Order: sequence, then C-alpha cells, then structure tokens
Amino acid sequence: MSPGEWLKSEFESRVDATLEWATPDNEVNYYIERAAAGAGIDADLYVGLTTEDLVRVDEALDDDLFAERGDVDGVADVREGLLFDPFDRAVPYDTGYVSLVYDGTETEAPATFEGLLDDEHAGQLIAQNPGASSTGRAFLLHTVHRFGDPDGTIEGGDGDPDYDYLDYWADLQENDVRVLGSWDDAYAAWSEGEAPMVVSYSTDQVFASQEGENLEEHQIRFLNDQAYANPEGMAVFADADEPDLARRFMSFVLEPEVQGEIAQRNVAFPATDTATLPEDYAELAQAPADPVTFTYDELQGSVDGWVEDWERQYAGN
Amino acid sequence: MGSDRDAGSDAPNDDPVAVELDGVTKRYGEADAVADVTLRVREGEFFTLVGPSGCGKTTTLRLIAGFEAPTAGAIRFGGADIAGVPPEDRDVGVVFQNYALFPHMTVGENVAYGLNFADPPEGVTRDERVAELLELVDLPDVADRDPRASRGAAPSASAMARALAPGPDVLLLDEPMSALDARLRERLRVQVRAIQSELGITTVYVTHDQEEALAISDRVAVLRDGVVEQVAPPRTVYREPATRFVAEFVGDNNVFAGRVVETAGPGGDETTVPATAIVAVDGGGSARRGGAESETLRVGLGGVSGAAGGNAVAVGDRLTFCVRPQHLVVGDATTNAMRATVESAEFLGETTRVTLDWKGRDLVVRTQDPPSGEVVVGFDPTDAHVVDASR
Amino acid sequence: MGGSKTGSDSTPGTEDGVSDDVDSGGPTAAVGQRLAALADRFDADLLTLLAVATSAVLVVAFYYPVATVLVEAVVVDGAVTLAVFAEILRDPFYVGELARLFAGESPVAVARALLSPDRRLGIVGFTAYQAALSTVASVALGLPAAYLLARFEFPGRRTLRSLTIVPFVLPSIMVAVGFVATFGDRGTLNAVLATVGLPPVDLLFTLEAVVIAHAFYNAPLVARVTTAAWESVDASAVETARSLGAGPTRAFYDVVAPQVYPAVLTGAALTFVFTFGTFPIVLALGGFELATVEVFVYRLVRDLSYAEAAALAVIELVISLAVLLAYLRYEARSSVQSRGVRPLPRRPLHPPALTAREVLPRVGLAVYAAVAALIFLAPIASMILASVTGGDGALTLEHYRFLAQRQRTGAAFQVRPWPAIRNSLVFATAATLVALPMGVVVAVLTTRKYRGRKLVDAAAMAPLAVSGIIVGLGLLRGLVFGVEVAGWRIAATGAAAIVVAHAVSGYPVVVRTVAPGLEGLDRSLVESARALGASRVRALRDVELPLVWPAVVAGAAFAFAISIGEFTATVVLATGADAYTMPVAIERFIGRRLGPATAMGVVLLVVTGVSFVVIERLGGEYRGL
Repeated sequence: MSPGEWLKSEFESRVDATLEWATPDNEVNYYIERAAAGAGIDADLYVGLTTEDLVRVDEALDDDLFAERGDVDGVADVREGLLFDPFDRAVPYDTGYVSLVYDGTETEAPATFEGLLDDEHAGQLIAQNPGASSTGRAFLLHTVHRFGDPDGTIEGGDGDPDYDYLDYWADLQENDVRVLGSWDDAYAAWSEGEAPMVVSYSTDQVFASQEGENLEEHQIRFLNDQAYANPEGMAVFADADEPDLARRFMSFVLEPEVQGEIAQRNVAFPATDTATLPEDYAELAQAPADPVTFTYDELQGSVDGWVEDWERQYAGN
Repeated sequence: MGSDRDAGSDAPNDDPVAVELDGVTKRYGEADAVADVTLRVREGEFFTLVGPSGCGKTTTLRLIAGFEAPTAGAIRFGGADIAGVPPEDRDVGVVFQNYALFPHMTVGENVAYGLNFADPPEGVTRDERVAELLELVDLPDVADRDPRASRGAAPSASAMARALAPGPDVLLLDEPMSALDARLRERLRVQVRAIQSELGITTVYVTHDQEEALAISDRVAVLRDGVVEQVAPPRTVYREPATRFVAEFVGDNNVFAGRVVETAGPGGDETTVPATAIVAVDGGGSARRGGAESETLRVGLGGVSGAAGGNAVAVGDRLTFCVRPQHLVVGDATTNAMRATVESAEFLGETTRVTLDWKGRDLVVRTQDPPSGEVVVGFDPTDAHVVDASR
Repeated sequence: MGGSKTGSDSTPGTEDGVSDDVDSGGPTAAVGQRLAALADRFDADLLTLLAVATSAVLVVAFYYPVATVLVEAVVVDGAVTLAVFAEILRDPFYVGELARLFAGESPVAVARALLSPDRRLGIVGFTAYQAALSTVASVALGLPAAYLLARFEFPGRRTLRSLTIVPFVLPSIMVAVGFVATFGDRGTLNAVLATVGLPPVDLLFTLEAVVIAHAFYNAPLVARVTTAAWESVDASAVETARSLGAGPTRAFYDVVAPQVYPAVLTGAALTFVFTFGTFPIVLALGGFELATVEVFVYRLVRDLSYAEAAALAVIELVISLAVLLAYLRYEARSSVQSRGVRPLPRRPLHPPALTAREVLPRVGLAVYAAVAALIFLAPIASMILASVTGGDGALTLEHYRFLAQRQRTGAAFQVRPWPAIRNSLVFATAATLVALPMGVVVAVLTTRKYRGRKLVDAAAMAPLAVSGIIVGLGLLRGLVFGVEVAGWRIAATGAAAIVVAHAVSGYPVVVRTVAPGLEGLDRSLVESARALGASRVRALRDVELPLVWPAVVAGAAFAFAISIGEFTATVVLATGADAYTMPVAIERFIGRRLGPATAMGVVLLVVTGVSFVVIERLGGEYRGL
C-alpha cells in the first residue's frame, strides 16, 4: 500500500473525518496560483513542502499561504536541523538524502567531489537538470555548499575562496558528466548501463533488495561523507476550513509508529528520533555521517541565481 | 413564348420582367468589374450577355446567381429585391463553362442532386424526373455513368439536365460551349435554344462569341469594361450598333471617323435634321502621317437621332460611322469611290473576305469574285450607319 | 415548366427548397414543411454558427487563457514595459550573435560574426537549428514511407498506413526508454554492429540522438500527410503527361511532384513547429548542453519568473508563427487544381520484371525498411520488452499484474488503468468530433479570399505554436480558476474542458490537412451545388468533403492522436481523480522501475494502434471515389 493510502485509512480509523488527497501536477505552485488568482485554496493541509517551496511561496505572495503550525504534538521530537521553516509553519515528516548510486561491478565511486574529476571517472556520472528535478537541484546545491558561490555569500567547505561551484561544474563538464532532464531519464539511462554512476537517493538499496536485485550493482556513495538532505514538511493553509483537524493530522503523522510506517513506505528517513523502525532498516537505508542542507535564509534570494548561473555556463550555445 | 417571338423585332414587349438589374456595380479593390449596369430580362426570354473577356459578363451572371453581392444597385427577381438571398434560395439553374459535374457522383446522381432540395413535379418520382431530364437533353441511358468518362456534348448536356431538374425560374449559362469544337458547338446551341423554347424558361446566357450571341438570343446586351454598350435584339445590334465598340465587336465592319464639312437636308435647310453629310474622313494612316491625307465620304444620317441623342448634325461635328463589308461594292464608283489596294483574301465558301488597303488603313469587303491589285470600292450613303456624332 | 419551386419571390424560409426527408403530400405536410423550412434556415446559418462557436471555443480555451500568461511579458508590476523583451533580445545567451544587433551594432558586423566558425547561436538559435535538422531528418525518413504506402500494394498496407501515426502519441519517457535500449552502449544497434564485426557507435546523449528521436515522432506525420496527397493524385493527369511523351520520371516531376510537394511542406512546417517547441525528449536523450527554449520556459515558470518565461514564450511563438506564415504563403501559391479523381494504380512489391526500373526502387525500399525497422520498430520493441522484463532481467508479467491489481484495489485518489483507457478513448473521440468541424470551418474560412486572411490563418494555427507549458498555466488560470463575473466564479474543469482543450490542440492539423484540398477544388462545384438549392454547409458536406476525404480522414486521425498523446492540458484540467488519461497514468506509474509505466505504455500503444485502424476503416479508403 502506498503511504498516502495507508495514512488515509489509518487516520480515518482513528478520527471521524474523511481524508481526501489531491495531487495537482504543479504541486505547491498550484496553490500559489490559486491564491494569486483569488480562487480559494480548497484544501486544509499541504503535504510535501520543501525549504525551497517555502522560499518561493513567500517571495510570490504578499499574504501568507500557510498558517503557523501552532500546537502539534511531537514537534519536540523532530531531529535537529530538520525544522527548516524559520517562521514555524512547516512541520517536517521525513527526509531524504541525495547521494551517488553506482554500479559496483563497473566502477568504484570516488570518495570526494574532486575524485569525480579524475580521468577514470570521465563520462561515468549522470546527473539531472537542477531547473526541473529535485535530485538535480539537491546535487547542485551540494556543490554550492561544498565549493561556495562566486559572490562569496556561501563560503565553500573546500576552503578555497577562488574556486567556486561554477569552477567545479566547468571541470565536471570537462570530465563528461551527463545532465539529463528528470530523475526518471537519468535513472533509466543508468539502469541500461549508459554510465555507472547516477545522482539519486541514498535509499536505493531498499528498493533494490525488495526487487531481488544484486546489491553490488546498487552501491551508495556519500561524497566527502556528506549528502544533501531534503526534508519534506507539511503545513496548514491559512484559510483552511478545518485547521484543527489539519493540526490533529500533523500530530498523528509525528507519532512514532506512523513515522516508522512513513519512512518505510516512502523509503525515506523519519523526521523524529522517536520513530519505530525495524532493526535492519538502517542497513539498507543509508544516512550520511554529515548531512548538509541550506537553510531558508541561505536559499532566499540566492537559489534562483545559482541555478541560472549554472544554466548559463553549462548550456552556452 | 420565346420561340415564336420575332427575334428581329424592336417592338416593345409586354412580358413581365423576370430579372432586373438596376444600377448594379461590382467593385473589386479599385476597379469596377461591373459599372452601373441596368438590364431587364423578360419572362421566357433568351437573353445574352456578350463581350470580350474581362467585360464583366460573367460577373454579371454571378451577381444574378448570388455568388457575388453587388457593391451598389439592386437586383430584382419578379420585382422583388433579392439582396441577401443566398444562391440556394434564388431558384436559379447554373451551367458553368467547365460544367462542374460532381466527380464523385454518377451522371444520374448529379441530375438528381437538386431534387434533394426541391420536389419533382406532382406525380413524378425522383427517378422519373432524372430520366425525363436526361431524355430532354438527348442523353438517355447514361444515368449510371461516371461523369468523368463522358465526352463530347455529354458533359454539357448533363450539366444542363442537372440545372433544370429542380425546375428553376431562371437558367444561367456561363459559356457552356466554349470548350467544344465548332461543329459540336453549333449543334448544341440549336439544342439549347430548342430546350429553352420548349420549357419557356427565362435564360441568361454568357458568351464571348458574338456570332453565337446573334444566333441564339432574343436579345443581346453587349458589355465592355463593365458597362452596357447596347441592349437590343440581334438584328438591331448588327444593323444599328449603338457605339463604335459594338460596331467593331459584332460582326465584320468598317468604321470611319471624320469631320463634317457639309450637310444636306431634303430642303437644304441647316436647322432641320439633314439627310446626309459629307465627311472628311481621317485616313487610317493619318495618325502616322500627321493627318495630311483625307478624303470626303457622303454618309446617310437616317440613324443619327438614335445614335447621337437626337442632336442635329452640323458642319464641324465629329462623326463616326460604319459600313458593313457586304455594303462596300467593288467597282462601284458612283458614290464614295475609294481607291484601294488588295492586301489579302480569305475564301469562306459562299463569299470571299477581302482585305484592302485604303490610305494606310484596312477596309474589309465581302465579294463573290475576289479582285486583285488596285480596285475602286464604293457604298450607298444609306448603307452607312452613324454610331457617334459630337461637336 | 413544372416543378415544386413556384414563383420567383423566393425568400429563405418559404416552402421552397423542402428538404429531401419530408413527405409533402399528406395531412402532416404543412407541419413537415414548416419544420423543414426551420431546418433549412438553421442549415443556412450553420456555417456562421460553427464559425462563431469555433471562435468562442478558441477564445475561451486558448486565446484568453494564454493571454493571461503572455501579458506578464509586457505588464510587470502593473506597468506596461518592453524591458523584459529588450533584456532577452540583448542577451547573447538567448539569441547569440543577434544580441549585438539588438544592442545597436551594425548588421554587417553581426552578419560577419554569424558567418564565422565560432559564432554563438544562443538558446533560441540552437533551438531553431535542431528543429531544422529534425525537419530534414523527418522528411528524409517520411518520404520513402509515403512512397511505399501510396504506390505499392501489399498485404496489410492499410493497417500499416493506419499504424504509421502510433509513434506520434508515445510519451517522451517511453521513447527515451526505447531509444536507450536501442541506441545505447548496450543497445540493439551496437549488438547488431558487434555481430557483424563493426565498432560500436556512441549515439546517445548527442544531437544526433535527439534529431533521430524527433524524426521518430514526426516522420510519421510527414509520411501520413504525404501519403494522403499522393493517393489523391489523378492517374489521368499522369497518363496525359505520358501520352504527351513524358517518361515515367519526367511525368513524376511534372505531374506527381507538384501535387505531393505541398503536402511534404505541410509535414515539414508542422515538424519544425513541433520540434521547435520540444522539451522533455531533448534532455532525456541529449542532455542539458542541448537545452532548448522550452527547457528554460519550464524552469522559469517553475520558479514563478513569469515575466521572463512569457517573454521567452512570445519570442518562441513569433518564430513558429513566422515559419507557419511563410509556409502558408507557399501553400496558397501552390494549391493544385484537380485531385481525388482516380488514384494511381498501386504496384506489387514483387517486381513484375527484372529490369532496373522495376528492381531499383524496390531495393531502395528494402534498404529503407531496414533503417525504419531500426528507428521505429526497435525502440517500440524495446518498450514492449521492457514491459515484460523484471528487475532481475527475467521475463515476467508482473508489471501487467501490477496494472490489474491497481485496477482492482487502487484507492480513489490513485490512477487506475481502465478509467485511463476509457477516458483517453472517450476524450479522443469527442475531441476529434469537435476538432473536425472546427478544422473544416477554419479551412473553409481561410480558403476564401480576403485581406489579411493569411493572418487569420496564422492566428488559427497558434495552438500549434504556443509553448505547451504556457498553455498549461493559462488553462489553470483561465479555466480551472475561472473568471469572476458578478460575484460568481465561472470555471471549467473535468471531461468537457479536457475535450475542448484537446480539440483546440488538434484542430490546426485538421485545417492544414483539409485546407489545401479545399483550396484546390474548383469553386464552380460548390456554386453548382448551391444554385441547385444546397446551403453552404450542405454543399460542403455533399461535394467538397467527399472530394477531399483522404485529407479529412488524415486530419481526424491526427486530431485523435494529438488528444491521446496530450499531457500538459490534461493534467491541469483533470482535477479530481476521474478524468486522467493514459499518458497521465504512465507518468503516475513511473517509479524507480519503469516496468509498470512501460506496461501502461504498451497498453497505450495497443489501444491507439487499434483506434487508428478503426478510424481509417470507418473513414473508408476513398468513399466512392
């Protein structure tokens, strides 16, 4: 059963209410558009909010799209660093890490970003368009985090102020990295053996073992022992009809056993440190020693520029 | 009705007007295709629009059919203005130059098509009506045939049958014979006229062939550059062309122009309408040679009142007149003797058509035995027809 | 003479022109006649009515929604400005060397820069460049197919002709999967090359791969429209040329080519416009180095940078419309009279004699068949194979079992296969039935002569030329959110809105297939019918459409195909879970493993293939011609 289905039946079994999922294709932009058009939101709660989404929402709309989270049980249990909303609206419910997945029978992924520039890894990596794909964007942000941006607003972890993420990407492009459109494109090409490394999720082995695949072909590599964390959150719409019920749902989601179910069904990591998970879950779902992520404040006003500068450099026709 | 009328008569006709064009103008962009045309076609009449290509005759027909809307003026059917009435509601039958038979239907289906929108006469079935029409146009047993396979007169006749099947009030024919060879054309025009007479249907016929127009029509309208030059029965058009253009367009003709140097009436009095005028004719070569040469010709003025609006002709007037080839008599030096040189001769069977050079311009003569070299030709002043007189 | 038409005082609506299905004679005749007169009246105005309805549909479901987005290019923060355009046009990143022109440099210097080897095309220039290459490739691959389908007789020819459009409807992810499996390092092509001892080719993630994929989509379009035109060539015209002493080759150049050429150009123009607006396939098979304008429109919309996105989309639109306009000028000049009379006889595939004249074309077709098998069949076969391959590489039906299970147990908010199939078929059928009259009406209106008709024609083609992403956003704003009128919010979503949106996307192709044929018809055919009492619409139905019937069927097939393959508008308008279609289902079934999605893709393949065969059978081959 998909996580959505499970949550619906579980929540409805506990509360006298009906949960309706809607899956607009434009995701949170759909609600930004609704609000901008004055068309009414027609929903109580948004599930699947990222830091970047929040930045975008706040830049696009003068009025608040989301209300403050208020009283939600279990917020205190959320792991450190995951509460990504400085204005206390979004409540994280899980997180994922974007890392390298590689075919161990073909290559041995390098331990560091610099290693990807080695000749032996030429043409071996497939990434995704940061303008359209969330893994692609996470990987780009990770390189910004690692090498800094040209303005020096972000000081890279590499300690070299003269070498920024664009320099790194120039070298990566020189080494024949492939930047495809979506995660689907990239993962399909990787599966067909077009290249042995792909930017993907650190939970890849969970799927691989479910499907009885050779785990040797599904190795995870955290470059510099890091991975970019993409916490996902939920928030109550400011003009929700049932804000209390929505908050009740948020509390429900943070319950230890529900957190465990979500993590397993979503193949992700729980947002709380109290989640009930099987012992062996951590064996296949790997987490980096040093998760990195940009805060709301760091992303605000910068992220569009980072992506655009990268596009201009990479696709200079 | 049409068949028993004396086609040469000018007598006023009391038949009601079937189709009337009243000051109709059709403008395309800057140019008038049809300019202020006024015509009345009477019920049962075979009326022909004739003129060179581009004269507006087809446009006039299309205006009547409703395929074009006039820019100005009114068109009336039986007295009622039909502005805005679409072609399908005008009760007209149209036959196009290329027949426009529907290639995806048999000949029979083509003929029957109009019966989708109008019932056959009382007591007649559709199929009977189709057979009846095909019989009428002398095409029995072709109903199942592919129209593209028919040859000769058949397509034209099929198109006729199709146009007549719904029983239209007016039949419009747009050069339906121009694609046929001369012999077939002559045969077919006799047939068309016979059918028209039999049905008594008001018919407007468009052709560029003046001979055909004269042969087939009750009345003819000669058009030029969108303007009606003359409307009259064929005989009148031939004998008394209203304008120089008509004189030259309809049949062979010798047209002269010049200045009146002397007039003579029955009483010799210049205030009355003179009976003849002596005209100093511009030589055909005068334009080339600076007008040095001219010769005087005596011209009868019997038709002047008609042509020049009843104004008396006086000395100094410009006169345009024409003399038919058969009225130029070779060897006649009694009146209007002209010395000319034979240029060429075409043997036409009954007569020979001789082209002469007279002072650098052509004269056309019809004669039984063709002359050669230098000849003298003359004509009786009463055989001259004045088409224009102006001061 | 006797007839039922009486009197010359004929005004519309009198008992004249009683329609054929009314029995005038019995006591009910008066009522019948009145009804008939009413029907007649309605019939007479039907064309006007259809024209008005078509305009209304276009305004509501296209022009207004798109305008809500495009206006953001010139209205920024409530003020009208051209600054956004100016910025893009002066940016070498977008327009390459031309930016110097807009920045005020002399045209001569810019022309020189453009001719230099290290010139910069910019994103817009590159997009046009790859579209031009794709057009050439599509024509090169489409023409032999048209030749085969129009000139040869063989078992299964009609079915093959019907199936040619199938590639046109495949979602890009399916094509990407098929292409990687066919042209990838470990793909079919390299396996074949290895067995014959040739070195492998590295085709993937290059411009070549993108161009071939575009040809995969669009060569069928070229082939289909060209086949329709070729089948309409009148044999007697060729026979006349031959009887006048022209050899077969000369007769082809003088008679056949001029009649087929406009259709080829139709296909080429449409291909250019489609590939100019290409989006997912470029990044899937090429990579971001080959990013096209639409990639940036997508990203800018996603980042809510509407002004720049709209300005870029307007530039895209202007270029596409310019190409269409140039094509329309040509189409008007080259319309060929006389068509659809008696088609050329088809030849057998077996050469009747072993002469060079008979054998060479067939050898050529055999070579073409091998190329076509690689480009069209191999990717499709790979998709089918992927749908029956499990994670462990073994053959399995588990993906189909997934579909069956989802059908049985899927939750209300989940996409299930059968509703997707049913919706796709219902929407496509309805959209075709709406697009056909729309397309025919616009074709009729644009084949009349009046000032500015080319502009009307181009405006009618705009749905082909506007960025799909902008249309999607526009539909969201214009239809889903609706317009507030006097306190009421008028919105449209769900099945009806999807059908209308699909019809709007599909009808321009109907116009383009039907208009050249109508233009080529002798106008006296219609006028004859009208003089015989047929209304304009009746003449259209009885005379014009039967004569251009192959083009109408081709147009219908494309309208159907466009509806089946449509994604952007569907996903926007299918609010609620009950109006999704097969492409939406495929997208939703995409997961880490593509098995379920490819299985659904194969379902799409089969369903549309069967539909095309049915459409063309229903359409009939010549319908009495």
